[in-house]
Amino acid sequence: MKAGTKLKSAVCDTEVMVIRGSDAIVECGGSPMDVERPAQRGTLNPTFSEGTKIGKRYVDAAGTVEFLCVKAGQGSLSIGGVALQVKDAKPLPSSD
Amino acid sequence: MIPLADRADEALAKLAGMTGSAAIGKLDGATLLGERAMLAGMAIPGRISAGGGCRLFEAVGDGIALNLARADDRELLPALLKTDTLDTNDDQAIAACIARSDAALLVARGRSMGLAMALEHEALPCCDNPCVELVTGVAAVGPVRRAPRVLDLSALWAGPLAGHLLWLAGAEVVKVESRTRPDAMREGERAFYALLNQGKASVVLDFADASDRQALLSLIAASDIVIEAARPRALAQLGIDAARIVRTTPGLVWVTITGHGAAGEAADWVGFGDDCGVAGGLSAALRAASGRSGFVGDAIADPLAGITAALAAWEAWSSRRGGRFGVAMSHVIACCLTRAHATDPAALDASLRAWSAAAGMPFPLVSRRPIGAVRTFGEDTHARLAQVARC
Repeated sequence: MKAGTKLKSAVCDTEVMVIRGSDAIVECGGSPMDVERPAQRGTLNPTFSEGTKIGKRYVDAAGTVEFLCVKAGQGSLSIGGVALQVKDAKPLPSSD
Repeated sequence: MIPLADRADEALAKLAGMTGSAAIGKLDGATLLGERAMLAGMAIPGRISAGGGCRLFEAVGDGIALNLARADDRELLPALLKTDTLDTNDDQAIAACIARSDAALLVARGRSMGLAMALEHEALPCCDNPCVELVTGVAAVGPVRRAPRVLDLSALWAGPLAGHLLWLAGAEVVKVESRTRPDAMREGERAFYALLNQGKASVVLDFADASDRQALLSLIAASDIVIEAARPRALAQLGIDAARIVRTTPGLVWVTITGHGAAGEAADWVGFGDDCGVAGGLSAALRAASGRSGFVGDAIADPLAGITAALAAWEAWSSRRGGRFGVAMSHVIACCLTRAHATDPAALDASLRAWSAAAGMPFPLVSRRPIGAVRTFGEDTHARLAQVARC
């Protein structure tokens, strides 16, 4: 996935932007995300239902992929069934 | 002479009159706009801001400001510019990518990603008052009997300056910081941090901790004025509903400083002093006057917004009417520019031309103010929390 691509959840309102991509398919609420939403909304997998938060950046354990949440939703993000983690808040600049 | 310093003079004179403070009466606008640059030995900026974090670029249709002051902002550039091959430390490559992009689309996209960006010619809501009443307060009964107690939840420059001005006017100020995310100005120019935060009590809380979040609510309840500069969702995540607190606390004044406004989509846009100066039309005015774009002042929207916020806070507190007020940094600049145009357009033009011609020279010298003692990080946490727990 190219950096800057926007992906939408198939099961909730979540939208993310690819910050650093790979060929891995990211899931939201347990279902693969895609550039277009499916015509019919799928069902949220309760294992991946902690929700996404707008403005948060999500990474995998190895730090190889990164997604920015641009629209929040009920599903949570995973790759191959492994949950992604929230990256810490940005430090503010010391000179703005 | 720093352009718009006369606007700061005007606001300071008003604040001095309102508060009766001799210390504020002695201040001049140029000092508040230029003291950080002088202390840090900065130069008059061209297309790179005085602090170095923000740059002006030419995009299709307009010039844009892009602030990359935070360490991991650059990681967002490949996604912003939709390229996997960009060297994010190569400013020429970044400029080349931006030059091929539509200015308005790029800024909208960057803002949705949490980047501090602005257009040189931004469509701003027409404003003649840079301070908007967001929530009508509940008037307190009886006259004011003592100096206000101020809770300063803000960081960086604008909010802390507002707290500092209120302190000069006699207020008791408590600065609250997050244990995990302290005010980053501590890492900047030491003397400047001390200038803005001298005399303030220092309380440090862990916002991940429920009892510390409760303590924050108690501190708010014990205050007359709250100064805050968080985005709405950050407050929501702390479980703070400013509107509800203001509606249920007689006389409480809550000033929210934002980059671009507290309502709608703009409430989530990040803004810092330099890019907000651009969004307010200052670089466009510089280009119109001198033929060259560039930054005006040093993070100029910060000090001007800080003075505006202090005025708004004191006015609402002394009248006892309370309320929540929004001060948007880019709107403050737009208002100052509008007033400068209306008052003396020739003087404004001359100051902008002189500023542009002086790019690269040392920043204008301003008065050196006395710096008092600064409390160490969290020094007053126990005492202050014990005090509010007893209430």
